[in-house]
Amino acid sequence: MKAVFHILEHDFRNFFRYKWWLVGLISMNLADLFIMAIVYNRMLSEELMQQIKNYFNFFAPGLAVTGLFASAFMIGREINMERRREIHHYMLSLPMTRMELAVGRVLSGGLRGMVYMSPLLVTCFVFLGFPTVSQFLAILAVLFLLAIGISGLSIAIAVSTSSLEKFITARGLVYYTLFFCSSVFYPLSLIQQLGQEGKFPMALVTLAEVNPLSSASDMIRSFLLGTPSFSLNMIINVLIFSTIFTLSAAFAYIQIIERT
Amino acid sequence: MSQIALFGIIASRMINMQQVPDYFRYYVSGLSVMTLYSAAIFIGFDIYEEAEHGVFEYLLSLPVSRRQLVLGRSIGGGLRSFIYVGPLIGVSLYVIGSVNPLSFLASLFALFLFSFGVSGMSITIAVIIKSSDRFDILMGVLDALIVRLSTAMYPLAVVQAANPLYGGIANFNPITYAADLFRWGTGIEAIITLDNPLMPLIGIIVFFAFFTFVGITIYDRRIEGGGWQ
Repeated sequence: MKAVFHILEHDFRNFFRYKWWLVGLISMNLADLFIMAIVYNRMLSEELMQQIKNYFNFFAPGLAVTGLFASAFMIGREINMERRREIHHYMLSLPMTRMELAVGRVLSGGLRGMVYMSPLLVTCFVFLGFPTVSQFLAILAVLFLLAIGISGLSIAIAVSTSSLEKFITARGLVYYTLFFCSSVFYPLSLIQQLGQEGKFPMALVTLAEVNPLSSASDMIRSFLLGTPSFSLNMIINVLIFSTIFTLSAAFAYIQIIERT
Repeated sequence: MSQIALFGIIASRMINMQQVPDYFRYYVSGLSVMTLYSAAIFIGFDIYEEAEHGVFEYLLSLPVSRRQLVLGRSIGGGLRSFIYVGPLIGVSLYVIGSVNPLSFLASLFALFLFSFGVSGMSITIAVIIKSSDRFDILMGVLDALIVRLSTAMYPLAVVQAANPLYGGIANFNPITYAADLFRWGTGIEAIITLDNPLMPLIGIIVFFAFFTFVGITIYDRRIEGGGWQ
């Protein structure tokens, strides 16, 4: 366990080396909320406005989730860099088991995501209202599960790609697919409606329904805004995603990193 | 492309048809300009990479004047970003449909100037700051503000109605000029109610001239003496 803490300390030191970069990233996220969401609020259709009432309020939870996603994904870039510069040989020589190393990396990626996301979540609470203690704990638990799942996904991609370009391309593909096929920017019902009309592929509609970003955003909305209604599936989706990618990342990290 | 195929299609369903009659076409044309801006900014990152690998000193030793060097970099940065965005512009044209060739050529010329201007701006800021970290942050913040406070994603009337300050900034934003001219050139100006395409064209020329010619002067003064971080 002590070894895992050392890995956490190492990764958090790296994370805070880029503190100004993080400030820049947070300001970009806030610009999305305080500019884009406010302007979009002015041009939404009446039908949608009846459903979501206010786009700023609708988007704020989604923004916290996108911030969490982007920051938890950063660990992958570092691990890809370590692999390319062969720093992973040093990591493997450290007095700890491979499993401790892998768990430490996945955990630190997730925790860093939580730290980054916290000002965005607080902003969300300030404008939308505070949840009850049990709801708050549920939000934190689900976001933490999501963060380690994303961290795992990013590590799995990082160790499977040999160059930075391939990693960035894969990351872009995952980013855009998961962001835009989710309820982060628009209600899930809108995507489902487009699917029923045959204007959007049903495979992507299904992806949006099971997407953990949709589940986490909608869960926060259900607690803070009352819509959509809370469903246990929201937690189950995130739990399944997190389990699959945490395990596959740990396995891929141990297997692939020793091979190269 | 995924932004068009996913966000464009779904977001266009969210928008009030009375505010923006065809948001999909509006968004696709704006996306081309946003991507052009981001691609042209990249020249600044190349300058840091060159400084890191010592290529900068090699470039300074070439038998070309500093002015020729920065002008060449601006035009090169602008041209390559244009090549990069070319396929996206092609997709935009396919989505938008038939265009008036003369208006389109005029708008393409404006986009060229815009792209050179953004490259010049990126080079100017890079040589002033001389720190890749600070440049990265500043460009990130600038990107967030300059793109969102423009008409790339929403019409000026809506931005003004949402917040007069935002509208005021969007009114004097080179991305607004480029996006409006591109929409005018592709024949969807009905959506943006552009009264006079000359005004944004003048705006683009001023932007290009400022960052190319003032940029040369700054580049001339700041290029020597190292201090790259």
